[in-house]
Amino acid sequence: MQSPERPQDSIDFAEFDALETEVISVRRLMWLRFKRNRLALIGSVVLIFMYLAAIFAGFIGPYGLRETHERFPASAPLLPRFIDDEGGFSFRPFVYAMESKVDPATFKRVLTPNTDVKHYIHFLARGTPYTILGFIETDLHLFHVEEPAKVFLLGTDKQGRDLFSRIFYGAQVSLTVGLVGVSLSLIFGTLIGIAGGYFGGLFDDVSQRVIEVLISFPQIPLWLALAALIPPTWSSVQRFFAISIVLSLVNWGGLSRQVRGMVYALREEDYVIAARYVSASDWRIITRHLLPNTLSHILVIATISIPAMILGETALSFLGLGIQPPMTSWGLLLNQAQHTRVLIQQPWLLTPALFVVGAIISFNFLGDGLRDAADPFAN
Amino acid sequence: MTRYILRRVIAILPTLFLITIFGFLVMEAPAGDYVTSYIVREYGHGNTEAARIEDELRSFLALDRPVYERFVTWIARFAQGDFGDSFDLRRPVRDILNDRIGLTLTISLATFAISWGIGIPLGVYSATHQYSKTDNFLTTVTFVGLGLPDFLLALAFLILGWQFTGEVLTGLQSVEFLDQPWSLAKLLDLMKHMVIPVFAVVITGTAWVMRVMRGNLLDQLGRDYIITLRAKGVPERVIIWKHAVKNSLHPLIAALGQTLAWLINGFTITSIVLELPTIQTVYLKATLQQDVYLAGTILILIGFLVLIGTLLADIMLAWMDPRIRYE
Repeated sequence: MQSPERPQDSIDFAEFDALETEVISVRRLMWLRFKRNRLALIGSVVLIFMYLAAIFAGFIGPYGLRETHERFPASAPLLPRFIDDEGGFSFRPFVYAMESKVDPATFKRVLTPNTDVKHYIHFLARGTPYTILGFIETDLHLFHVEEPAKVFLLGTDKQGRDLFSRIFYGAQVSLTVGLVGVSLSLIFGTLIGIAGGYFGGLFDDVSQRVIEVLISFPQIPLWLALAALIPPTWSSVQRFFAISIVLSLVNWGGLSRQVRGMVYALREEDYVIAARYVSASDWRIITRHLLPNTLSHILVIATISIPAMILGETALSFLGLGIQPPMTSWGLLLNQAQHTRVLIQQPWLLTPALFVVGAIISFNFLGDGLRDAADPFAN
Repeated sequence: MTRYILRRVIAILPTLFLITIFGFLVMEAPAGDYVTSYIVREYGHGNTEAARIEDELRSFLALDRPVYERFVTWIARFAQGDFGDSFDLRRPVRDILNDRIGLTLTISLATFAISWGIGIPLGVYSATHQYSKTDNFLTTVTFVGLGLPDFLLALAFLILGWQFTGEVLTGLQSVEFLDQPWSLAKLLDLMKHMVIPVFAVVITGTAWVMRVMRGNLLDQLGRDYIITLRAKGVPERVIIWKHAVKNSLHPLIAALGQTLAWLINGFTITSIVLELPTIQTVYLKATLQQDVYLAGTILILIGFLVLIGTLLADIMLAWMDPRIRYE
């Protein structure tokens, strides 16, 4: 381990070295704390993968966001196989093309595999064009199979769109709505919390009463009532931001209250009083002393409130009050599973739920680890 | 104490009035009204005639009056216990709520009792056996449980239930029992239908109670008075249950305040998913249809229960903890 740079002053560090001790910076101590919480590490790794998958959604999914396969509405998963119809093993995964035939007995269209030709799955192959982050245009996919064969890892919806591909496009919305919402709450909550805690007075009283009513009121009725306010004529991008605002409006109160509490306690600390004696301006005291000292805690609170936002978006979109097509999100994908009869015939429609749960749990783990790390001197 | 309660009750009234105005405004704010959304819906069902009676319908429902006038009339009647009529169901709001409150409370009370009944003992066990294998296991389970949204669980249970029993257990009663008087068979049928919603909601609830209980008990067990009790030779069982647990119940009791409102508005989305005949389902439908009086009444009821619940929780805290003084 390398010892960090030492300040050049009169203290003689030689005797410290003789004791074989090390100077560990606070940042390093925080990292050591965080690393000790194994669940938090797992959570952050899962989240990194999820966000990468959201960015590279087009690469991971074999089909586009709006690509429909007319002949395959509500199709069960069509998985790659290793063993062919004659029992022969193939090291390269392949699929059979499905042909639709009319069943002579029921006159219903049924899909039957054509076992004559094996269509091998191509890895890193060219397919539907897409863009990454809105500006990198490419058509490279993680895996791809030549027409007329199809590969639907998680089945399709009633319009015949590949659920597996759409889950990653949905992640782009579901995983960012929480971040946008939390950023808004952070700005709003921190401003009001610091102003209230530092200056006190009438503003503090009024904002505290408003927050009390806000946080004691149940969230879901508020979400519903506020989401119903969004004009139906808005585009899906406008709606995305409107939903983030709704989520943060319901959420900022708790954050603001905690920030206020911390600022209120720090206000009487020696270094703040000292700063006041050398007639530092309020602005300087807030930005140079109070904010840096509360920042780690504020970030922890923000992380902890992200799951509630993801859940809020999922719930609203699930009910049809949130994200609207052509965008998609995990909640909107789950919307089709709302009708029991549909769900029982197409249980694969519930798979986006696993991603929602995975993201929420990972954020909970991460938040827990960050909370430990934010207090590196606690026992 | 009596004076304190009286003062708090009086303080509730202005807040309640604010909630009422807020509730009404939120209902009124979206563009259009019940009639516009009604016509759109009818049009969707292929009924093009509805648009012709638009004005007639609006004046029949008094929706052609200005907002403040409707609000004042409604509030005046509200104060006398008449909550107005639902536009959509053409029935008094009071009757609709009366019909549904029984089953709503049955599910929510069952859920509440089970999650607290399991959560508290498990939380105590976890805290008294900190870092043991069981504790680590329970803590991880709690984390996962907190991340499982109840409505998604309910959907998963619905599929599982269908695969095992071949029945789709939505609603709370089978069709054949709908208009029957209460009997043992009907009760059993109800209980069968309650399994999915109760289980789905209990998981998150228990996880939360366990987590709070464990955290607070650990905090209490590190205090000096526990060491004193141990030094005096008080049996461990008495130390934990009589002293430490009692002192760590505070946050749970504070949460009871919100539980009161939760009884009629918790698990909203689960209710909708499972088509339960509860107040929550009516509320969502009324919000979407701008059925103002119905949705407004429920929103005010929720607000009222929040305020009453907080008051009750404060009184209980004062009664449990003699250190809390109100003067």
